[in-house]
Amino acid sequence: MSTIALTAPATMPGAPARSSGYLVLAPSCLVLTVFFALPMGTMIGMSFMDAQSLSPTLLNYQRFFSDGLSLAGLFRTAVMSILVAVCVTVLGYPVAYYLARSRSRWRALVFALALAPELAGVVLRTYGWLIILEDRGFINDMLINLGLIASPLPLSKNLFAVVVGLAHVVLPFGILSLTTSIQGIDPNLERAAQMLGASRLSVVRHIILPLSVPGIVSSLLIAFTMAASAYATPALLGGARFKVLATMIYEQVLFYIDWGFAAVMAIALLIMMLVISFLGIRYEARRSSRRSTREGGAS
Amino acid sequence: MNRVLTCLFWLAIALVLTFITLPLAVVVAASLSPSSAVTFLPWEWTTVWYGDLLADRWLQPFLLSVKIATVVAGISGVLGVLAAYAVVYERIPGSTAIMAGLLSPLSVPQIVKGVAIVLFLSIIGLQGVLGTPALIAAHVVLALPFVTRMAATSLANFDGNLDRAAQSLGATKRQRLQHIVLPMIKPGVLSGVTFAFIISFNNIPLSVFLVRPGDTTLPIAVINYLEYSLDPVMAAVNVASMVFILAVIFLFEKVGGFSAQLHGGSK
Repeated sequence: MSTIALTAPATMPGAPARSSGYLVLAPSCLVLTVFFALPMGTMIGMSFMDAQSLSPTLLNYQRFFSDGLSLAGLFRTAVMSILVAVCVTVLGYPVAYYLARSRSRWRALVFALALAPELAGVVLRTYGWLIILEDRGFINDMLINLGLIASPLPLSKNLFAVVVGLAHVVLPFGILSLTTSIQGIDPNLERAAQMLGASRLSVVRHIILPLSVPGIVSSLLIAFTMAASAYATPALLGGARFKVLATMIYEQVLFYIDWGFAAVMAIALLIMMLVISFLGIRYEARRSSRRSTREGGAS
Repeated sequence: MNRVLTCLFWLAIALVLTFITLPLAVVVAASLSPSSAVTFLPWEWTTVWYGDLLADRWLQPFLLSVKIATVVAGISGVLGVLAAYAVVYERIPGSTAIMAGLLSPLSVPQIVKGVAIVLFLSIIGLQGVLGTPALIAAHVVLALPFVTRMAATSLANFDGNLDRAAQSLGATKRQRLQHIVLPMIKPGVLSGVTFAFIISFNNIPLSVFLVRPGDTTLPIAVINYLEYSLDPVMAAVNVASMVFILAVIFLFEKVGGFSAQLHGGSK
């Protein structure tokens, strides 16, 4: 996600101007130091301090692990993110396969429909789901009018609503990473298997799925990290009844004004994200080293 | 068997596309609904809610959001190009580590960056800058890594032979930067700047900590309003801001022609 191959053209001119190089770099470094590095340091420092007396303490961490609410919030965040990751990957797979393989003129339309929502912003989409899932919303309205139910189903302000809303927000990213991965599979493998008499089902099960595992993994990881760090969708669709770390952090800062504890929660969220990214990087590294040893052995 | 599977495949695609477009369709329909209770597929249509958009209540946040997004796009555009120039073109020593540092904010969730900035400003006694200055600074931290990365990619991908040819023909460094390097990386930079504008304009997780009451950006005004009402004005506001974003993308694409780049094509 954040690595860039710095394989610049081998001989760029301009070797003598090293000092001017540092000079033009200075503004970015200054901005990132003052508004990113120092704040992050302050936040980590605050997590070890008492908010009133500013004396060093571990009480914030102790409270995080002992008050029950915080660990429950962490657990809810993890469960929600895992569900979103699975939904996004399962829903995205057929569309990604179509986008990777189709040559029809509908492909452009499907591509636009799948990705356009990304431009709409999170609020608009979450508002759409609010209208659909509310107690007096579209679905409940319809079911009551049809006489199927007497009282509204609890579709909003719970885990279900948040997972639906977040899956919708994250889906385009899942589709993109799956499409890239499926495009990398040689279509001749599928044709060969079909010619040798394999059914569609066994082509999918024995060729496409195993070969697209890297895409599935990256889709799961992207979806998990985006879901775990989302704020607006859980705030609006989960409300006070379904709190995750992001919304709990917001409450600690703006309602309880407990900075030390807010810092601990933010660090917990950050660590969860870093662990997930680390697993992703390690998976990627293992895969590429396995590939290189295989190729080395073959040659 | 194969036919059943094909049918299931198309059914799955149709369902997923419905899932993706449904909330957008619902919002557009709601914005045209005459009743104040939001219903899907109203039988009568009205544009009365769009008239409310010009009330101060929505116009002020909109203008503030546009102002902040414009400044953020400008600052991160300039800083990002300069940083990418230093790291990729000048190739100063330690460039890989420096690039990793420049991109490091990407691996921190926005809400964590937001908490960190608000704590930091409060600790050093600068609560006074909450509001526009703090919003601009925070959004620049958010957008800068993206712009830097896009500018760096453009710089790394363009054909260095053009630059060397110009150099061997006696062009000064300034001439080369002005007539070769900048035009070559312009599409990449402009798509980065457009992206910076959009993520600033739509931002919630950072802004939510940094806005001053009564002087909020549009997305924050919208979510504050949504906490207690779902009426169709919201739908109109949301549709209008989506149209605005599409117009911005269209405009920048006309200026920069970066769509070829977004589609992975290269010249």
